[in-house]
Amino acid sequence: MSDKVEQLTKFIQEKCLWQFLSRTWDREEAISGVIKMIETLQTGGQPVIETPIDKCHYADAKVLLTDINKAFSWFGELKADQLGEVLHGAEARLKQITITGSLNGELNHQLY
Amino acid sequence: MPLKLLKCDVTIPEREKHVYIKEPGEDTTQYLPISNAATIPGTLSERGCSYCGAKLVIGGVLKDTIQMIHGPVGCAYDTWHTKRYPSDNDNFQLKYVWSTNLKEKHIVFGGEKQLKQSIIEAFQEMPDIKRMFIYTTCATALIGDDPKAVAKAVEKELGDVDIFVVECPGFAGVSQSKGHHVLNMGWINEKVGTLEPTITSPYTINFIGDYNIQGDSQVLEKYFHKMGIQIIAHFTGNASYDDLRGMHRAQLNVVNCARSAGYIANELKKRYGIPRLDIDSWGFEYCQDALRKVGAFFGLEDKAEEVIAEEVAKYKEQMEWYRAGLKGKKVCIWTGGPRLWHWTKALEDDLGMTVVAMSSKFGHQEDFEKVIARGNEGTIYIDDANELEFFEVLEMVKPDLVLTGPRVGDLVKKLHLPYINGHAYHNGPYMGFEGSVNMARDMYNAIYSPLMKLAAIDVREKAALEVGV
Repeated sequence: MSDKVEQLTKFIQEKCLWQFLSRTWDREEAISGVIKMIETLQTGGQPVIETPIDKCHYADAKVLLTDINKAFSWFGELKADQLGEVLHGAEARLKQITITGSLNGELNHQLY
Repeated sequence: MPLKLLKCDVTIPEREKHVYIKEPGEDTTQYLPISNAATIPGTLSERGCSYCGAKLVIGGVLKDTIQMIHGPVGCAYDTWHTKRYPSDNDNFQLKYVWSTNLKEKHIVFGGEKQLKQSIIEAFQEMPDIKRMFIYTTCATALIGDDPKAVAKAVEKELGDVDIFVVECPGFAGVSQSKGHHVLNMGWINEKVGTLEPTITSPYTINFIGDYNIQGDSQVLEKYFHKMGIQIIAHFTGNASYDDLRGMHRAQLNVVNCARSAGYIANELKKRYGIPRLDIDSWGFEYCQDALRKVGAFFGLEDKAEEVIAEEVAKYKEQMEWYRAGLKGKKVCIWTGGPRLWHWTKALEDDLGMTVVAMSSKFGHQEDFEKVIARGNEGTIYIDDANELEFFEVLEMVKPDLVLTGPRVGDLVKKLHLPYINGHAYHNGPYMGFEGSVNMARDMYNAIYSPLMKLAAIDVREKAALEVGV
């Protein structure tokens, strides 16, 4: 499964701008928000959209999910627990690359 | 491979931290070039100044605003007409340039009287214009002029004008990036929320970080309007001063240039709860994703698909034709910052080109994270590259084409390599579907034109050969 996590991480790294928002808290919010939406949409659940930010995560997730399914035939075959493992694995890797392991010196500046 | 010290940088070894070549398996947690740092003495930087970042990039785009540059006339002239951003009111902002034309006596005795006189004169000469930006420059910041006080006095005196002051002299930061920042923060602090916009649609956005280069904003605007979306403000392509005062009323901030305008998008989210949706407005495939995202946000998916279907039908065949000619061609992207990450995958995915080197004048580490994540292994990534580095990299990668500005473009031409103006374009717009075709056409024409080869020939030698001398 780690191979699939890496494939998905690389795909998202190349494709998505929301993981690179300006500050740590923005990146955490976007990465968690979009991945959560993807999991909900892929499992046929009803996304919870209570705020404008949720709506934004939904929009990003919806388009990305289509692209993921096009790029990886295995993605649609994952069972719910496997899907969770891959998505949360990718979420953790994205946070490691763009937040905890990031060399970006501006990431934790309190002002924009 | 770790960060790379180029041969030409032996005498300025600090430059090693600004140059990176990506190796297989590496990511940005291992290597990330230093950027948005002071230029190292001894390196011949291609950067612009901080005032330029505020005026030339953002403020000067506004179509109904006098741009009063408080300083020597050169500061005004050098930030006028070098970037082609038209407007739908007969290009007012491109026709005129305004300066307080400071002389030595003003530096000695102060320039505030001259500023006040210039402001009043400009408003009198252009009675239909009631809005103004004032910019400080190095000279007027150093002598301690107070343009905000002058602006306030004039507003009181004239009664019907509104003035915004950008206090960002050339030396304020390490590059034009500081000017973007100061203008963004000044505008959100002083002007956003001071005017209520007229709402004409249930779907409203601000389109942030588009500067209408050769009509870019108008291309995107056409798509959004077809979807039934109202653009409250473009920040700042083809925009009016008062549009930007109503940015607080949009439901969504659609962000293109996150480097020059991410600040105001972040602040609009923090202060007004308006979310930020980053998109790529350049690129044939990217543009489809962008419209789909905006459509999904508003529940206008069908409208988005209609626009995409119409535009793809119109332009796909042309893209494919150019793809056949451009596939496999090697290209360098040496521009300001964001075009690196917007263009690299677009050129590769849409046209099959290979991006072999990228250089940013004013990008921050956030930009390099995006660039390196999207860029190829083996590609050379440089922050604030100098002239000798450009020459050395050209030798290393031997590109077919360089996308850059006129300054570096002239260096490239001396080597008889084609270049395309990546800042102001050759024959744009370059955004959107039609823009992708325009960009592909310009690149194709540049690569296949015989001009550069002919330029390398000494016609006297050729003539001598022909007459058998």
